[in-house]
Amino acid sequence: MKSLVIIFRHAPLGTTSTREGLDFAMLSASFEQQVSIVFTNEAVLHLLAGQAPEQAGSKDYVSAFKALSLYDIDTVLVCAESMTTLGLQADELSISATIVAPQAITDALQAADEVLVF
Amino acid sequence: MSKFIIQVNGSVYGSTASFRALSFCQSALANGHQIINVFFYQDGVTNSSALTCPASDEIDMHSNWQSLSLQYAIPLTNCVSAALRRGVLSPQDATENGKPQWNSSDAFTMGGLGELVVGIEHADRLISF
Repeated sequence: MKSLVIIFRHAPLGTTSTREGLDFAMLSASFEQQVSIVFTNEAVLHLLAGQAPEQAGSKDYVSAFKALSLYDIDTVLVCAESMTTLGLQADELSISATIVAPQAITDALQAADEVLVF
Repeated sequence: MSKFIIQVNGSVYGSTASFRALSFCQSALANGHQIINVFFYQDGVTNSSALTCPASDEIDMHSNWQSLSLQYAIPLTNCVSAALRRGVLSPQDATENGKPQWNSSDAFTMGGLGELVVGIEHADRLISF
């Protein structure tokens, strides 16, 4: 088993990056790796409730974030600085996640065996 | 000596990710390291298309990957679902899905994301491009 940190950096809808990263996160968790997820930069926008990705021609992968705990992915970090930059409030997050300062993300990356950026 | 697994997410053309990945592989091998697999994900799967046909004065990444695989016996693995979504098919995929053509060359094999995860477990280090 390895500890993997998967970082999402891209906004919803504009690219399929997060969707394919989420596929990898769930698959690796089901292969019994220790998986943590980090939302940073524009990717924090994935956490806003009430999105309709189908309207933008995308499969609704956003709602799949609610299933992370079923895959035993319990560490979900959200960059506080990115949230401030994009005007997001803590009570707007649609899934259970921990809002942390950038230093906590740095610490998580340093503790991981591998880091994958999507 | 380290064992690497390489992940290529960048397209065969329009991004330099694939070229940088290949250069990393060549340097690592030249320095005595081992590459256990090159895994193509996201737009990286387009590297396997045998129908890429750049002009003679351009870099032919598809052929470069084939040569690397042949010379050092390194498996090249496409994520099959990422590939199918992007119109990259093996002969078997084409038959199963009723498509008139296929484009992924023999040097690349279709596999699941599980092969990437297992590769990460076996390697000392994953390097993504």
